[in-house]
Order: sequence, then C-alpha cells, then structure tokens
Amino acid sequence: MRNLVVRRAIQMLLIMLTVSLLLFAIFDSDQFREKAAVAELGGFGIATLSADDYHEWLQKKGLNEPFLARYAQWLKAVAHGDLGRSVEKDVAVATLLKESLANTAILAFFVLLGLIPIALTLGVLAGMNEGSRLDRVISVAAVITTSIPQIATAVLLTVILALGLGWVPAKSAMTDGWSFRPLVLPLLTLLLYDIGYLVRMTRAAMTEVMASQYIRTAVLKGLPPWRVIMKHALRNALVVPVTLIFLELNGLLSQVVVVEVFFQYAGFGRMLFDAANFGDIQVLQAATLVAIAVAVVSQLLSDAAYTFLNPRVRFK
Amino acid sequence: MSPPAEHALLPKLRQQLERGVLSRREFIRFATLLGMAAGTAYAMAGVAAPVMAGGTLPFPAAEPGAKRGGKLRVGEMVARMEDPATYNWNEMANQTRPMLEYLTMVGADNVVRPMLMESWKASADLKVWTLTVRGGVMWHNGEELNAEHVAWNIRRWSDPALGSSNFGLSTFAALTELTGAKDPKGRALRRPLKNGVEVLDSHTLRLNLAQPVLSVAEDCGEFCTLVVHPSFKPPLSRNPIGTGPYTLTELRVGDRCILKRVEKTTDGRDFKYWGGEVYLDEIHFYHYEQDNQAAALASGSVDAIYELSVEQIELAQSIPGAKILSVETAQTLCCRMQVDVKPFNDIRVRRAVVKAADNPAIKKLVFGNHGTVASNFHVSPVHPEYFPLAPVVRDVAGAKQLLKEAGYEKGIDLNIVVGNNDGPWQQAACEALRDQVKEAGINLTVTVVPATKFWEIWTKVPFGATSWAHRPLGTMALAQAYRSGASWNESHFSDPEFDQALSDAEATIDVQARKAKMQKVEQILQDAAVVVQPMWRPVFILASSKVYGYKAHPARQMQLNKVWMG
Repeated sequence: MRNLVVRRAIQMLLIMLTVSLLLFAIFDSDQFREKAAVAELGGFGIATLSADDYHEWLQKKGLNEPFLARYAQWLKAVAHGDLGRSVEKDVAVATLLKESLANTAILAFFVLLGLIPIALTLGVLAGMNEGSRLDRVISVAAVITTSIPQIATAVLLTVILALGLGWVPAKSAMTDGWSFRPLVLPLLTLLLYDIGYLVRMTRAAMTEVMASQYIRTAVLKGLPPWRVIMKHALRNALVVPVTLIFLELNGLLSQVVVVEVFFQYAGFGRMLFDAANFGDIQVLQAATLVAIAVAVVSQLLSDAAYTFLNPRVRFK
Repeated sequence: MSPPAEHALLPKLRQQLERGVLSRREFIRFATLLGMAAGTAYAMAGVAAPVMAGGTLPFPAAEPGAKRGGKLRVGEMVARMEDPATYNWNEMANQTRPMLEYLTMVGADNVVRPMLMESWKASADLKVWTLTVRGGVMWHNGEELNAEHVAWNIRRWSDPALGSSNFGLSTFAALTELTGAKDPKGRALRRPLKNGVEVLDSHTLRLNLAQPVLSVAEDCGEFCTLVVHPSFKPPLSRNPIGTGPYTLTELRVGDRCILKRVEKTTDGRDFKYWGGEVYLDEIHFYHYEQDNQAAALASGSVDAIYELSVEQIELAQSIPGAKILSVETAQTLCCRMQVDVKPFNDIRVRRAVVKAADNPAIKKLVFGNHGTVASNFHVSPVHPEYFPLAPVVRDVAGAKQLLKEAGYEKGIDLNIVVGNNDGPWQQAACEALRDQVKEAGINLTVTVVPATKFWEIWTKVPFGATSWAHRPLGTMALAQAYRSGASWNESHFSDPEFDQALSDAEATIDVQARKAKMQKVEQILQDAAVVVQPMWRPVFILASSKVYGYKAHPARQMQLNKVWMG
C-alpha cells in the first residue's frame, strides 16, 4: 500500500509538470497575448494602439518575457507556495481557490449525502428482484434521469421550483450569505443525473451477483433472504459502485462547471469557467494542479476501497 | 450654466427653428452642444423641459415623496475596475459612476448637460473650446477639483499609447497630430499636440484642436471619460478617490460590488457633495449573467437589472409588480464586408448580399414592433443631420444577376462571424440574413464565436457582424468606422470622395446645410454596399415596483443620483 501511494504521488507530480508546461506553452502564443490585451483594453481600445504601442503595452504587463523564463519563475513561486494573483479579480489565487473549493466541497458533500443511500438502496432493490415491477419502475426512472442533459434538468427545475412555485431562489449566488435554499436547485440537478447513473450500475452489479452460483448455494442451504443479501451478495456487488463513488469525486469537479455556471454558484467550476473566458492564466494553472491532485487522490482512494472489498485484488 | 457671450451660430439656429426648418428636438440638441443651457434651449424651443433639479445641476428634480435611505440591489455582471479610461464594459462604468463623474452628463433624454464642467464655449470655427470647471466640487480626499485636474485627465485621454477607446472620439483625436511616420502595419502614427490643452486659471481651460469638432461636450460624457484624481494609479478599486456621492467599499469581481455614501473625506472633514441630495445609502451590484438577471429579479434577489434582453420580455411581463422601461437608441448591428478582401473586393458581390437582404424583415423578426429599420449607411433618424435616403428594397433577381456578372453563376459560399457581444439577438439577425440571401444563391454560414474571442478578431474577419454603440451625432460613427485609415475602420472602406464629403459635412455648422451635405456622404456609403445594417435597436431595463427614478438610457448609462426606494 505504501508503495502504491508513493508511486501515485510521483505520477501525480509528473503529470502536474507536464500539464502545466503544456498550458504555459499554449498561453505563450500571440493569440493569447492578444486575448489578454482585449480582456483589459477591449476591442475598441486595442484597435486604437499602433504596433509599437501594443508591444510596449505587452512589455509593461510582462507578457513579452520569454516562455521558459516565465515558466521557471512560476515554478519557483509555486514551490514556495505562492500560486500567483488573478489578473481579472485582483486577489491571490490561493484565496480564490480556497473559497471556490470550499463552496464546491459543500455542494459535493450534499451530493454524496443524498447520492449514496438513495442510489445504493434503489440499485440493490432493483437488482435483487430482476424483472419485477419495482425493478422496472426504478430502471425506467434511472434511464430517464440519465438521458436528460444536466443543462435541461437545470432549466426544468428552475421553471418549476423557482419561477413557478417560488419555493427556492432561481439562482444560487447567495448574495445575503450562505444558506441552504439556494443550494437546492444545483443539488437536485446533480443528484438526478448521478442517482440514475449509480442506480443502473449498482443494479447491474447486483443482478450479476444474484445470478452467481454461491448465492444459489446460500439460498439452497436455507439461509434467510436478508442474510443472503447482506452477508453474501452486497459485499461483492458493491465493488463497482464504490469505485464509481470515488471516481465521482473527480467527476464532480468537471461536471459542476455546467451546473455552477448555470446557477451562478461561486464554486470551483465557475472559477475555472471565468478564468478560461478571461485568459487568467495563473488561476487556470492553479486550478489544473488541483484538478490533477483530486483525480489522482480519488483514484488512490478507489483502489484502496477496491482492495478492501475484494481481497483477491492486490496492487503491487 | 452661463456665458452671456453665446456661440455665433445660435442666432442662426434660432432663425431656423422659427422658420420651421429645424425641428425642436434638433434645436435643443444643437443649442446644448454649442454651450446653451439645456433649460434655456428647451424654453426657446417652446417645449416643456423635463423637470430638473434647478441651477446648473444636470439631475432631474426630486420626485414628490422621494425619501432618503435604503439600498438598491442591481443585477449585472460585476466586473473589474482597473482604469476608467480603458473600460471596455459598460458594467465597469456603472459600478464607477456613483463614485467618479463626467465633465458632462448625457441625460436619459439624450441631451447633454454640464456636470463637473459648468459651461463650455466654442469658437466660430469649432476649433477652440473654452471649458469652465465647476466650482466647489470636493474630491473624497478633501481637495477641490480644479482646471489642472481636468487638464490632466484630458491629456491622458489624448495619449495614443494608453489604448483607451477615448482616443477614437473626435475631441481627443483632435488633440493629437500626425508624426508623419507609419507603423509596420501601415498605420499613420500620432502624437499629442504641444499646446492642445491649456490651463487659463484655476477653473478655466482651453482646448486648441487640430480640426473642428462639434461634439466636445458630447465626447466628455462618453462612458470612458470618468474623471479621476491626478494621483490615480490603476487599479481604481484599490484607491478609489472620486467626486461622486458614493465610494467603493467592497469589490469581488464576478460576485459583488458595494458602494456606500461618503460621509467624511479621507482627511477627516465632512464631505459635501456638489450635486445636491442623493437618496440611496448604499448601492449593491450583484453578479448575474445577462440571461439570469430577470430570473434574479423574479426571485427577489435584486431590485433592478442592467438590461432586459428582448427575448425575456415575456418572462418579465409575468413578474408581479416589475416595471419594464425602454428607450430607442442609435445602437446597431453592422454586418460589414471588407472591401479589399476577396470576394468582397468585387462590389457586385457586396451589392448582391445587400440586395438579397430584407432589413425590415430582420428587424421585425428580432425586435418585433420595437426598434427602427436601418438602411445601410449608419446614420440614424435620431441624429440631427440624418438625411432620409430612399429605403433599401430587397431585390433577389437583381442580386442573382449581379452574382452572375461577378462570375458566381452557381452561387457563392460566404461566412459571417458574430460574437453576440451585445446579446444573442445579433446571432438571430445573422441567421435571418443567412436564410434570406440563400434565395439569391448565397450560401451564408454563420460562425458564432465567444464574445471575448470576437474582440480579438473583429477588425480582421472578412465578413463580420459588429455591434456599434449609440453615438449622438451621425458624423461620429462615420468618422470612426468608414474614414480612410481610421482606427475602427473594420471594413477597410476607403474612398477619397467620401472622406472629403464627410469632412465638408463635419465642418458645416449650419444644420440644414449639413443635412444636405450628408445626403452625398450617406449615398456614397450606401452605394458602396459596405454593410448590411438591418436595424437600430431599443434598450429595455427592468425594475421592481419599489424602485423609483430608475430610467432606461440610450447609451445604457446607469444614473442613480435621484433613484430612491419606496
């Protein structure tokens, strides 16, 4: 296990280095420099500049420095724990990152809180009685919620719950400070899709296990059904869903972009979206590092859970 | 406002008004541009002036029942506040306007009134302008505003290296001269005039312009000309010193911008605002994307929004108690073709595109009964010197014939780039154009790019749809967008005859004579088939029933001095 952690950590660092270098390279183009200039001066402003004045402006903003020099500078700063400053928002990237990650973590917490019990229960119930009426109802519902794109779910929920019934605010900007009600719509949007997906996976795993010979043996031995399910079926059936739940942590970081931008929730996804729109490179770089870290750590956790649930698997 | 010595042209304007050759609106517009007080101009034109606060104040009079206190929550995109001179979003200026002020104020009725500048006077040839700075205006740091401060700002706006869109305004461009050199892209270089801005005494300054400019007062109220203290260093948000009644207390870009009433100067004295009573204690801007603003108001998260898009009017109508306000403007969409790029370098192709388009149909489709149909020469009926040319008529057969002559017998493939900088209606207009020109054998594809991306390429794409903001005079946009070599000449249109005709019009002060000269200018541009310009767009805003005094402005300037909460 320790070897695994060390190996994954090294992998993570290598990925971070490669990706940050690539990002820097992409942003070291004339196109990007122009994007930065447009973001600051506007299309009409930049059109008034002569070629010389434009170059002088780039020089003043430090955008004309050689690529490797800037990269080395950035690496050094990051190694000292300084993630830089957001050009657009005029705040330290670390502050921005901390706040937005905290907001997304809150959202993710409530997603998992709803997702795990609901999806596992429904999935197991459906998988236990394959072909039953209950299974049909659950499966069809799961197919429906996973077929609707999140953006459409978001619009539907807004129209019904916020604009129609007026139960919750239409947007989650939380201008008066944190409260749970504005969180309802993004939460439901994420949950509807995720529950459907996890239910289907759990159901599939459960049906497979229920059809296996050792379950038949257990039943034939005369064990009560709850014992067969709890002691024999569940542990094996949960391997896939648990892996998925851990990967969901990572998926959330990318999925939330749509939901957070739509509902204007100030989380990681919206920060990433704003930074990409503005060309705020320091923020993008830092966000990428975080995304990589989350991806690697969630994979590590899922591997650990996998070994725990399935002792036959050993990572070397 | 004052000076007894009125402009030489004013008697003539009066005569024209009396003879009926000048409409009352035109008279008011021109008389105020030349330095006459708006109230006097209204009175002279025999029109009831909007009720004003009195004296030389540019603000509307207090509404009966107006009360002090409370906060206004506005939904708009909360933007950074770096340097007011290089602002490129109106939202930035909205957040700044309660704190920094203009030399003049363009009212919701589109008339210019004196703000930090108390009066202005032009020479007969419109090349020398004397500006009087208002007395008793206090900065938030306790200093008094003086002519040096104003001169510092004007010199800054005239600096070609600043990258400010102010440099595209006639007044500030006329404070520079050509160096004779050109940059690698062939653009003529300019430098500030040596004696362009002269300070005469503590409250008087003089502009010595390189060429006649009619729109000095107008230019001084444009959205990037907010007056900063000479100690200013960007970003403004870190060191906000202004003359306005409010100051910035919190800015979180993409989240909120909070402004509070100034009570004390930074040196500890009582702050006295020059502009009389303001009602709101606090102004809060909360970040909502354009599409989300109406929904935020419906949920009660904000009291007013920056702009209501036309496709959300129905939603807005269903919000109990919400008020929809609107105003007609000279804002427009120019689907312009670069005249030096194949295939648009063949005028027959451009004419075919123009002929195949149905401007009234596009306007109707996008804005319904709102807005005005335009006729491809970028001068609007709201402009005083507008000469009504015959409207363009759709002629599909003619378009086909032209294409045939140009060698595109089997049709032609074209692509228009649109950035929706001003909203998705631009894309709708381009798509309508696409469907119309198809009948003439033009296969137009519409490429939609993100708004920020569009501003990187707007001067480069051969066929692009650019939104142009409201400008008070018809000559202004023409000079900025169609004169040979102008910074914003995105179509690369260049015609010495047009340039000459435009210069003639610009130097003609007499409105009727000027209007007559505009016929030639407009006709050349329309005949050259440079743009398909389907409409002049309206502006809509939305406020809850608790908000009073909130008005739609043709240039979308949010003016909150007299807004109050009921």
